[in-house]
Amino acid sequence: MTTANPETPSEPISKAVRGRQSRAREEELLVWPDLVFIEFICAVLFTVLILILAVMVDSILLDRANPAVTPNPSKAPWYFLNLQELLLHMHPALAGVIVPTVALIALGAIPYFDNSNDGQGEWLSTPRAWLNLWVGAFVGFFGTLLLIFYDASKHVQVFEMIANGSLSAKAPPPPSALQYSEALASSGKTVPEGLQAIVSGGNELVQPTDTVPSEFYSQSFWNGQNGFTAWPEQLEFLTTLRGIQTGIPWPEWTKEIPLGNVLRTDLFGFPRIELNVDVPALIVEQIIPVTAMVGLPVLLAVVASKLGIAKTKRDHMIMQFSGFIAVYVVLTIIGTYFRGVGLELEPYTIFAHP
Amino acid sequence: MASNERPQRASVGDRLYDLAFQNRVWRSIFRSGYPNTPRNQMLAVATNVFLHLHPTRIHRTHVKITHTFCLGGLSFFLFLGLTITGVLLMFYYVPSVERAYQDVLALETDVRFGQLMRNMHRWMAHGMVLTVIMHMMRVFYTGAYKPPREFNWVVGVVLLVLTLLLSFTGYLLPWDQLALWAITVGTNMVGSAPLLGEPNRFVLVGGYQVGQAALIRFYTLHVIGLPLLAAVFMMVHFWRIRRDGGLARPL
Repeated sequence: MTTANPETPSEPISKAVRGRQSRAREEELLVWPDLVFIEFICAVLFTVLILILAVMVDSILLDRANPAVTPNPSKAPWYFLNLQELLLHMHPALAGVIVPTVALIALGAIPYFDNSNDGQGEWLSTPRAWLNLWVGAFVGFFGTLLLIFYDASKHVQVFEMIANGSLSAKAPPPPSALQYSEALASSGKTVPEGLQAIVSGGNELVQPTDTVPSEFYSQSFWNGQNGFTAWPEQLEFLTTLRGIQTGIPWPEWTKEIPLGNVLRTDLFGFPRIELNVDVPALIVEQIIPVTAMVGLPVLLAVVASKLGIAKTKRDHMIMQFSGFIAVYVVLTIIGTYFRGVGLELEPYTIFAHP
Repeated sequence: MASNERPQRASVGDRLYDLAFQNRVWRSIFRSGYPNTPRNQMLAVATNVFLHLHPTRIHRTHVKITHTFCLGGLSFFLFLGLTITGVLLMFYYVPSVERAYQDVLALETDVRFGQLMRNMHRWMAHGMVLTVIMHMMRVFYTGAYKPPREFNWVVGVVLLVLTLLLSFTGYLLPWDQLALWAITVGTNMVGSAPLLGEPNRFVLVGGYQVGQAALIRFYTLHVIGLPLLAAVFMMVHFWRIRRDGGLARPL
């Protein structure tokens, strides 16, 4: 009954034949007019669009360059603001050079890692492509935001907001020496001798009405006196990444471990590099950022493959690439619109520039 | 049909057509004749130096706008537009710290269409960074980097870097506060590299701080060095697209 169709052979086509793309003439169009005209229309359309944009929006020209006046903030061009944003969180060599170099090499290596022909030539045509795109983009976007919020100690503000039951609750300002010693005395604590001297007028440098000197001042005690629950001092090292360096009583010797003249760069005409290892700085500026930048994508890949979200190399590539693009976008947006004076995390536009 | 086998007399339209497209001058410029038949259309593409970047035929899925969004072509179009507006801007701009800022001010106020040229150049530059990044995303999500196109993806990554560098070198040229400090921040990042960072920064800036030496270096790179390099890589990029059989297709 069924006659063999000559165009669909029952035998599977051999791999060698399948490797070459079929050239079905009836599937092809003539470049003139079908492609050339599209290109022409596209070029005309964009010429007009750019003309309209150029007529309507003038490019910025600030005051003449002056090396003596540093604007605050000073920002790189927008496509490098993601690197400048990284600069706030890690060692400059890492943020400025090593991360972009590694990222570019990884980008160039994608086809050598994912070398199957699955999903070639069609938008996201492999089975789990869209899922992996959204998972990668979502985790990249919100993960990066969370890390930035952590380093801007936003979680401290959230804690204080919840603990004090009010968005506007603010820590009381440091009191004068007189107020502080009275508070100490009334709560049954001993007033340090130096503070007594100030209150009695015996110290010529600090008046009783001046702000209490920091060596006598305990913020958590004063906050407690005023009914304000601040971030606990024992958890100071959790406020920001820097907090690990400053909030933990590191022994002095860990901050300068000499390794001798390991790098004899003087042989090449450069200054000799004396290697001293500052352990807290090393941990904060290099080990933790590298662990986060390498470990979190790896963790995502492992979790995704355990959950069955990403199975093939193409799945993993889509997830990591989407994550990379999301991180690039979120760092660029934060760097452009949310880094103000002193590169603090706050809304900012270039038009507010002095 | 049979009644019409004898050739008809040429109409007025045929005569006009011959007059316009079959004369010696036209044929000396365009050898293929006016592309009104499939044969002439293919000849027009194959024999024209500008059009012969294309094949004569193309798979029907590749002319769908939503397949490529024309992003690669747009990047090249913006590159050409930047070259044209850039050459016009070069007529009025002298890369010296005494004159650069004055020249840009004069361009905006004294030169007819000067502000328009500068605006177009700037917006096209920002646009090109965007289209190149989006083109990379298109190629990735359509799986077009897969064998045999691996190396063309690498060439594309090099072109992305060159685009960023072209934009970055151009950023300094207006010599205003934005330019100076953006380049200072950017070059300081280079200087933070271990060991070779500081010497590299010195070579790039031509001194310890961004000044005349940096301006002339960035200018030279911006108007000749990097565009030439980008053109070479673009040649390779386009050539390999043709060699690999056009855009990627499902097997």
